[in-house]
Parts: sequence; C-alpha cells; structure tokens
Amino acid sequence: MRNFILIIRRFFNLILFVGLEIVCFILIAHSRTLQGDDIVSSANTAIGIAYQKQTDLVYYINLGKMNDTLLSENVRLRKLVDQYTTLDTLKDTLVHKALTNTDTTVHIIKYADYRYRTAKVINNSVDGVNNYITIDRGSKHGIVKGMAVISSTGLVGRVEYVSANFASILSILSNKQQVSAKLKDGTFKSTVWDNEHPDVFMMKDMPPELKIKRGDSVFTTPYGNTFPADVLIGRVAKVELTKKNGKQQLYLTPATNFRNLQYVYVIENLMSEERKQLEELPAKK
Amino acid sequence: MNIYLKNFLRFCIIVLLQVFILNNITLHWFTNPAGALFNPFIYPIFILLLPFETPVWVLLVLGFLLGVTVDAFMTTAGMHACATLLVAYLRTNVLNALMPRNLSEYINQQPSVKNMGWTPFLVYSGFLLLLHHIVFFSIESWSVAGFGPLLMKIGASLVTSMLFVIVYILLFTRQTVTRA
Repeated sequence: MRNFILIIRRFFNLILFVGLEIVCFILIAHSRTLQGDDIVSSANTAIGIAYQKQTDLVYYINLGKMNDTLLSENVRLRKLVDQYTTLDTLKDTLVHKALTNTDTTVHIIKYADYRYRTAKVINNSVDGVNNYITIDRGSKHGIVKGMAVISSTGLVGRVEYVSANFASILSILSNKQQVSAKLKDGTFKSTVWDNEHPDVFMMKDMPPELKIKRGDSVFTTPYGNTFPADVLIGRVAKVELTKKNGKQQLYLTPATNFRNLQYVYVIENLMSEERKQLEELPAKK
Repeated sequence: MNIYLKNFLRFCIIVLLQVFILNNITLHWFTNPAGALFNPFIYPIFILLLPFETPVWVLLVLGFLLGVTVDAFMTTAGMHACATLLVAYLRTNVLNALMPRNLSEYINQQPSVKNMGWTPFLVYSGFLLLLHHIVFFSIESWSVAGFGPLLMKIGASLVTSMLFVIVYILLFTRQTVTRA
C-alpha cells in the first residue's frame, strides 16, 4: 500500500495529465455526432451575453450592406406576392408553392406549413471543420433543436443546441451534415462540403448525360424532414468530368455569404411531428 | 501587484483578446484564393508566462480551465483544452532544458525576454506553440487525407501566432532601458 501511494505521488503529474486529456477526448467524442450533448458550447448563457455585447458594438459597421440585402429580398418577396395574391391569400409563406393542379377532382388547399422567426447572429465562424453560428433567440422564443435556418439569400443550417436565450446553429459548412439537393430538372443528390473553402460546395457523381450549365440553381428537396423544400442552396460555378468513373462533379457557390451573416430566419415546420410519426409507423412493424 | 491577481487579470485579458479580436482575423496565407481559413492563436501564452516555480499540477489545471473557456466560446468542445494541456505538461521540461540554472532559483520571476534573452524565449514559445498548433489542427481535421494543407495550415498559423506573441511581449512587458 505504501509503495502504491509512493508511485502515485511520483507520477501524480503524469496521471493528472492523462486524466484531463481523457476528459477532453470524451468531450470531443460527444460533440462529433449530431446527437451529442452540449456540455461546452457557445449556446451557454454567459458566453451568449458576452457575444451579444460584442455584436452590439460592431454591427453598425455592416448596416449599409445589410440594408442592401434586405431591400433586394423585399423586391423578391414583392414579386412572389404579386404572383400568388390572385391564387390563395391564406398562405403566409413564401416557400410553399400554390397548387397548380389541373385535375379538378382533387381540390386541396394547404395552409401554411412553416412559421418564421427572425434572429440576430451574434457569433459566426467559417474556418473550422464544423462551423457554428450563435443567435440571440432560444427556447424562450420557441426555438427547438432541429429547426431549419435560412438567410435572406439562401440556406444556412439547422439549430443544434438551445439554451433559454440563445441557440447555436450548425451551418451547412460542416462535414457532419449533408444537404439533399436538387437541380432544376429534379435530379437530386446530396451536397458535400470539402472542409476547406467557405465559398465552395460540391455535388459528386452526377450522371454524365445531364446537361448542366454554369449558373444553374440548386435547391433543397422535400425528402429530408429538416429543411423546407425549394430553398436556394447555391449556384453551379464549375462542372468537371471525373476521369476515374466518367461522372460529373459540380462545384457550387453557396447563396448565403457566410462571412457576413447578420440576420437569419429560423423556420419551424408545423407538420414535422405528424410526418415523423407517420414515417416511423412501418419501421415499428 | 499581487501575483495571483496579476495572473487572473492576464487570463481574462488574453481570453478576451483571443475570442473577440483574433478569432475575427481569418487568414488564408499560402492557400489558393478563397482557400482554407484559419485563426492565429495566442492564448497559450498565458501558460507560457506563469512564474518559473509554478508546480506542474497547477499548470495542468490552469491549462485545462483556459482551454475549456476558449472551447466554450468557439464551440470546439475540448480541442483547445487538449492542445493546451500538452503545452502545460511540457512547459517545465522545456524551460529546464533552456535555462542555465535550476528553475527553483528564479524566485518570483516569470519567463520573459528580460531574464531569458530573445533567442531562448523565442525557441521556448515557438516550440510549445508549434506543439499546440500540431495537436489542435490534427484533432480538428481528424484525417490524414488533407496532409499537405494541414501542414500549410500549421505552418502559416504558427508564423502568425508568433508575430502576435512578439507584439504582445513588446507591448505588455517592461523593458530594461539601456543607454550607451
């Protein structure tokens, strides 16, 4: 017993070092999955308050640019409203499209599926392997884990950690989540990020017979339960033919400028719970 | 000033500096245009500047606290803590190798350019920062696929971090005035 205590005293520093490193690795391992717990995250209240103070100080600088994006968004929304006012005024969403069904026996009016909340970005990163954005809305304002987040120009990410007043969003600049995406003609595939460039996304292994041009838009699909359909992800910047398997590889420029995000919209999908229950039914049997 | 109060204030200042100023500086040195982005890190300098006779276990605990604080701000869950612990653990050994006398003889002194000289101090901080950057960036990317870019990232980030460390040293330590 005496020897044991002596050994511990002799190697106390090494044991403490290894012990603390193990704690670190447990924290890292927890955070590497989408379901991981938020033990240490910027959604913490104290850190959220600190970031908010910083944002209050510096956000004046970008006001002009923000005005421009809001104006252009207003123009786009106005156009959309003009299209829809004659069709259906019950909808309060821009994402959901009006039914243009020629079959008159099926007459369904769908009410709004989505609810929008605005939020101010108080912390933002573009240089990590998984990038997080902290916003000043939390569970108090109805934010729930898993909600989709868009900016005025395109897709941003999904809510991952929530505290009372703040939430942190895993942006699509991340190797943890892939986004199901489609081209104009309906071919779908998921986008991947190459962990390096905040201005480049890729879509790999597109069939070679597809005619894809520079500047084609890429939208989200309705297949996943997280993101609403038809939100702009980005535009094709380059089409490349991989020699190895003769398939096309697309490089996209994201529609959202992740470097100067200031305001985002958090989207609550009102039908998500019902859909999840329905889709889990066959798995139970 | 009391040495505990002084180091506590330094902890706060360095964390604020790192989180609110340096984290907003994104670099893309040596990478293709609009290429990989990364930050300079100077917060390990808090561990480097603690007094000579600080026991290793105190260094480890402080290093862990510092790392977790930075982690919490950057949502990196343990990556910075992991790298900072290594710096804290090896600090005493590196100092022993570089200093001419036994560390216990430097009472109430902290490592600085004044009592170490420029070259030993730069070797000391450069070596430990290099270890910190290697550990942090490898854990962050967690793959051997992008080995070349990873080395670039470590190298370029280290150079920038060292620049900031030198600026910090010049700004915040008292210089001895020498007149010819």
